[in-house]
This record gives sequence, C-alpha cells and structure tokens, in this order.
Amino acid sequence: MVTVGAVRTPGKRERAEKKEEEVPSAGGTIAASSDLKAGDRVVYPKQGVYRVTGLEQKDIAGQRLEFVRMTREEDGASVLVPLGKVATIGLRRVASADDIEGVFHYLGASYDDPELDWKVRHRDNVERLIAGGVLGVAEVVKGLHSLSRLRPLPAKERELYDSSRHLLVNEISVALGVPAVIAEDYIDYALMPPAGVKLPLKTPPTPVELKGPPWKRKKPVAAEDEDDLGLAELGIDLGAIEGAAVGESEESEEGEAEGEKASAEGSEEEAVPLPKVPPPARAAMPPPRVAPLPKKGAPPAKAPAPVKKAAPPAKKPAPRAKKAPPPAKKPAPPAKKAPPPAKKPAPKKAAPAKKPARPAKGKKK
Amino acid sequence: MIRIVTLAPFDEGDIGFLCKTLYRSFGIGTEHQGDRALPRKAELPDGRFDALKLLDDAPPVRAYADDKVVYLTDVELANPKGPLGEPPAWGHALQGGERALVSTFRFKPRGVTEASIEVYRRRLARECIHFIGHLWDLHHCYDARCAMHPSWSPSLPDDPEFELDAFCRDKSERRIRLAKT
Repeated sequence: MVTVGAVRTPGKRERAEKKEEEVPSAGGTIAASSDLKAGDRVVYPKQGVYRVTGLEQKDIAGQRLEFVRMTREEDGASVLVPLGKVATIGLRRVASADDIEGVFHYLGASYDDPELDWKVRHRDNVERLIAGGVLGVAEVVKGLHSLSRLRPLPAKERELYDSSRHLLVNEISVALGVPAVIAEDYIDYALMPPAGVKLPLKTPPTPVELKGPPWKRKKPVAAEDEDDLGLAELGIDLGAIEGAAVGESEESEEGEAEGEKASAEGSEEEAVPLPKVPPPARAAMPPPRVAPLPKKGAPPAKAPAPVKKAAPPAKKPAPRAKKAPPPAKKPAPPAKKAPPPAKKPAPKKAAPAKKPARPAKGKKK
Repeated sequence: MIRIVTLAPFDEGDIGFLCKTLYRSFGIGTEHQGDRALPRKAELPDGRFDALKLLDDAPPVRAYADDKVVYLTDVELANPKGPLGEPPAWGHALQGGERALVSTFRFKPRGVTEASIEVYRRRLARECIHFIGHLWDLHHCYDARCAMHPSWSPSLPDDPEFELDAFCRDKSERRIRLAKT
C-alpha cells in the first residue's frame, strides 16, 4: 500500500485521501486480514485494544461484503472492518513485554526539549499516535508531559495528552497483565520518580522516524543555530568590539582637525561595517580588528567583553554623535556638516509650508 | 452515592470532614457505611498488604448501580513490581470500576494540634478524591495542584490541594452525568 503511493505522484486531493488511508508500517503491524484469528488481541490506532471476535458477511447495497468483527476490551464497543481495509487502518499486535520495557526506559530518560511550534507538534503527535506503535504513543505522552512543565497545555492538547495517556495505560495494562491503575502508576513512576529514587535506566529505544517535513527540518536547524551562536560569541564579536573601542579611542587621541576628518571617515566606516558584522564569516572580520588590540595592551582583560559586543556597536553611534557636535562648533566642519542639516531642514520647510495652508482652509470655514 | 467503609478505627471528625469534602467535590451524596474487619489474607510475608488482593478481598458492602465504595485503612500497602521498580502505594482503585482503597500509612502523623489534624484531614480528602477520580475513569494529571496528580510526585507540596483542576473536574462531571442512575 505504501509503495503504491510512493510510485505515483498523486494530486492534492488524492494525497489527502491517502494520508488518511495509508499508514507507515510500525512494528507488529498486521499486513493482511489472513493474519487475524478469532481471539487475537490487536491495537486499533487512536482507539485502543480490541479482541477479534470473528469474520462476518453482510449484504450492503446489493454487495456481499466480508468484515472482521472486533470488540473493544475497555467498554465492549464492537467494530466491523471490511477485510480489504484491515491492512490500511494500521492495526497492530499488542506490544510485547520487551517493547513495553523499552517504553519505560524511554519514559524515564531525560527529554531534551519539547517541540514549541504547535503546528509541527500537533502534526507529529497525530502521526505518532497513528503510525508510531506503542513507542509513538509514549512519545506523545512524554513530549506533552515535558511541555506541561514549561507551561500549561492548551485545551486541545490537554485532551490529546489525556487520550494518549489512556491509550498507553490500556496497552501497558494488557501487555503486562496488570490493572490499569497500576499500569498508570508505572508510567508516572518513570515520568516523575519520587524524590531520592534513581531508576535503573538503560539506553532507550530510538524514537519512531516519521515521514514529513518537520522531522527533516528540526535537527539541522537546531544544529546550525547552536553553531552560529557559538562562533559569533567566540571570534567575531570580540574583535569587533575591541576594534571598535580602539578605533574610537585612537580617534579621540588624534588632533581635532584630523579627528574631524577621521570622524567623518569613521562615520562612513561605521555605517559600512555594522551591517557587515552579522552576515560575514569569521575570516573577514577578525584580521583588521585584531590588529588594533595589541596597541592598547590593556584590553586582554576584556576577554569577557564579548557579552558587551552587542551593546558597544549600538553605543558607537552615540559617542560619535557627541563628537559630531564639537566639530560642528568649529568653523571648518560646519561647512562639511552643513549638508546633513540642510537635508533635514528641507523636509521641515516643506511641512511648514503645508501647515499654513491648512489653517488657511480652517479660516475659510 | 459514595460509601465509605473503614477497615481501621478512624476519628468521627475526620470521617465527617471527608464526607463533606467528597460531596463538595463530586456533587454526590456521601456516607459512612460502617466499620469492617481487615482481610488478613492479603498480608505479605514482609508485613505489608498486597493492594490488589486487599481490594479484592475487602468485605462486600451493599451498594447500588453507580455507587462508589471507598475502603479506608492504615496498613502499609504494596504494589506489584514494575519494569523500573515498585511505585509507592497510597491506595488502589479499579479504573472505571466501583471500589477503591486508601491507606493513611504514608500520611504525616495526625498529631493532636489543630494544624496537624487539619493537614491530616486535607491529605485524607485528597487521596480519597484521587482514587474516586480513578473510579470515574480519570487519569493522573500533570498539574501538581490537582488531586489527580500522583501522590508520590516530588513536585507535590507537603500540604497539597485537595481539589480537581478544571479539566479533571469537567471530565468527572461528564462521567457522573452519563452514569446510569
């Protein structure tokens, strides 16, 4: 069934329909109706544990169809599944004791971080419940449980958490042959062990791999982010901060006239390097800014300064803005600085010109 | 109707407080059905009592459809060992069933001061609400302020709340409304 979908390239509607019908195979999946016998216990995804009662034939719309009758153990509800559909609804055997042990080791293991994007999380959880087997159900419970420690679950997810917990409890209860309340105690004993108890955990089984974009996106994105953060903190910013600081100090030490020129140039430089900082790699930024460091000598103590990186660049413009006024007081610079002010007043002039017009209208009224 | 059966001597004041609290929590009449003898068959060699067996062997009480029976005891209970160990037993219940068992063995001593008695009563009420919740098919809740939070959870305060959270209360009310009687 899965292969058929993979070979053809169906349209949107077809794909949507097949998504509902086709289910990736999980461990113990029943591939054909011939695998079922009366008395077998099977798990119907998102429904619970059923016991196969037998085969039945029924006349429906003039056709004679064969069905498998199953009864839910929990409440006795019965379901008729057409023989042809048995392979596509994701029926599977009740998990074995080994599988269940793996589930407990998974539940007891530490959980890195829950998925925070609710759309991705919802899609993953639904997929896991349908196709992930007992471990998939455990993943949903564990994921939502750890999310609930960060913030209360929204109503829909609270329901999903409760229903997936219900499914897990029932399957564990059936697989281990213990009452449901005891099975739930086992689950919570693994999820939140009492104070002072150390669980004898083994390596948990690998989570079920599901098809779909979220799984492919997750890990690489996380890895890149971490790398970027680490690199930026280590190399690039250090140089940038120190270099910038040195540049400013040097400029201040220089003569005023030179300083004016330098500031003018510096202001141009500032505008250029700032945007460059984020995108370029370590290679471009460090060399020019590492050079000024040794001049000061003292800065080596500024190793922790990386934290200030972000702030200094933002502050740079401020000090230069302060420097800008002094040159403005001098005779020479005003001419140079005249252009910027000239640009500013221009819009102001335009505005006042319009203002008088408005009051005039008002007066007319 | 919730029927309370004591398998050990309990203070009348405590039982009175419990009846009022259960009535307020579930909106169902609650009464003390009387004292019964503790079934000794469920005792294990180590002196503890098998929770499952004790509940099975508990003396029957006259009850009607949808009645819930809660047995109170003060003996130490034991749960069957699971894959990761034996979870501490504060009681036992038949999920969606009719009978539950609560033990006060792990409670803080009742003491004689008003404060300690209050804490004891609140804890008794909480555990009874918890196991009656299982009888209404409720599962454990992640919220430590809810009575359905596991009794041994490290995030549970010393004097925990003895009420259900909104989700569990809604669910239990739905179940009670759908009950046959």
